Amino acid sequence: MKTKKRKQSIFIDILIWAFLVVAAVMILAPILFMFTASMMPAREILKMPYRWIPSGFEAENFWIPIKGLNNDFIFLRNILNSFIVSGAVALTTVLLSALTGYALAKFRFRGKNIVFFSIMATMMIPFEAIMVPLYLVITNFHLQNSYAGLILPFLVNAFGIFLMRQYLVPFPDEIIDAARIDGAGEFQIFRRIILPNSLPAVATLAILAFRTQWDNLLWPLLVVQSEEMKTIPLYITKFTGEMSSNEGAMMAVAVIASIPMLVLFFAMSRYFLSGAAVYSSRKG
Amino acid sequence: MTPALLFFSIFSFYPIGNAFYTSLFRKNMLSLRPPKFIGFENYTYLFGSPDFWNSLRATLVFTVGTFVPILLFSLLFAVFIQSRRRFQKFFQLAYYSPAVLSSVVAAAIWMIIFDPRGLANQWVNGLAGTPGVDHQWLVDYHIAQISTMVVYFWKYVGYFTIIFIAGLSTIPRTISEAATIDGASPWQNFWFITLPLLKPTTVLVSIMSMLQCLKTFSTQYLFTQGGAPKEPINVITLNIYDTAIRDHRIGRASAMSIVLFGIMLLLTLVQFQLSKSDEVSY
Repeated sequence: MKTKKRKQSIFIDILIWAFLVVAAVMILAPILFMFTASMMPAREILKMPYRWIPSGFEAENFWIPIKGLNNDFIFLRNILNSFIVSGAVALTTVLLSALTGYALAKFRFRGKNIVFFSIMATMMIPFEAIMVPLYLVITNFHLQNSYAGLILPFLVNAFGIFLMRQYLVPFPDEIIDAARIDGAGEFQIFRRIILPNSLPAVATLAILAFRTQWDNLLWPLLVVQSEEMKTIPLYITKFTGEMSSNEGAMMAVAVIASIPMLVLFFAMSRYFLSGAAVYSSRKG
Repeated sequence: MTPALLFFSIFSFYPIGNAFYTSLFRKNMLSLRPPKFIGFENYTYLFGSPDFWNSLRATLVFTVGTFVPILLFSLLFAVFIQSRRRFQKFFQLAYYSPAVLSSVVAAAIWMIIFDPRGLANQWVNGLAGTPGVDHQWLVDYHIAQISTMVVYFWKYVGYFTIIFIAGLSTIPRTISEAATIDGASPWQNFWFITLPLLKPTTVLVSIMSMLQCLKTFSTQYLFTQGGAPKEPINVITLNIYDTAIRDHRIGRASAMSIVLFGIMLLLTLVQFQLSKSDEVSY
């Protein structure tokens, strides 16, 4: 009786392992496909059955998008734009969220609860619902095709403020008071004590803000028409339209667009996962 | 402090009020005539328009067809991963990795996989034993809908798995250990202990994935650009974009935004109600 039960549980155990491994293979296969296909000439990619190991390295795939269809190297400019926009948004989000979150966590002032709840309320407004009016604001100020137009709507975000506040509430007041007694200015306290002590939250938030903008298609689609101001997602949509018959080059573009994120992911995977996990501790 | 609040009022509260205000006008970007106040005419137009109903239906089909599998599989993955003694980290990273790619990249990869000569046909025909059949991934009305769901499922299932794992780790081990000593089987343990205690996370994941699906845009946009039929996958955000940018009908697009906002607000309120009523205490 006992051995039968144990045999059964070993069997179930093996089934679970098999399920997890098969699922992992299926989830990773499209990513592997992207990398291998980017190295193959187009005629090899759509050959049946697909050969997972490229016979060589088709450098042309990467050279075509980098050079650009008009030899203007516009893709490089678009990559730079993505870095500038995502970097700027990450920086301002972290700074302004940390400042506001710190104020909400540690200062007493009139209307603090109203401020906090109104910030929480904005978390319920999806960007898709306000993008048309935002677009009107940007066009009224003639900020289309500019970094300002791409960046402004994302300078602060409610989730960032919420995250920083939650992180800083348990921070001991004694340390802050001690610094004040020692004559530290308020900004000095923020820069020397609060920021260094909230690095995990700051890293989580910075990565979240950076990749959200790196991924953003809809907003740049609204406010950018000029080739020089396009970001990577816009370049990819244009490229897939023009070069849909060259699958190898398409995947090369996808690889170039993904490498910065994948490097960041492998270097700092902890903060990617914590960005997702934050939600489940979101109470009250 | 003050600058942050200032940005908030300009970039969050003002636009939603403005969206509603604009939705009451007939406003055209290209026309030189001043916008004309028409009350709720934009809304009556929308709800009489087959095109908008089609968008609502496409969004609903996509949302239900995506969030249910995401919910089931992310829960399953999380429970299974959590039950392993080794390689937990590896599986978490592997399942999460598609979420790292941008949605445009994800759509581009799958567009090639869905090519008639691509991997999707090879896999499905290999499994079903039907060599040489083209399943028309980006052509057929219903299959094109399923294709967009596959992309989204693939990209986000790992993300929600991580949330479930975080939720699972807050449940004290002692409870299920006590139950095991009392003779509960692993299945009973899961069904009567883990699942009820996990309810707040389940509610959170359901609502979050639904909200996420309601906002879907990139996959549908790229697929239609790549030649897929528009009608089956013309989700609300895609319709808003077309109405505002291609047709320059700002008032009508704003009305659509308000409808979308209303649906999402309703879901968020449901979540608040549900999570308020079952705060778990150990």
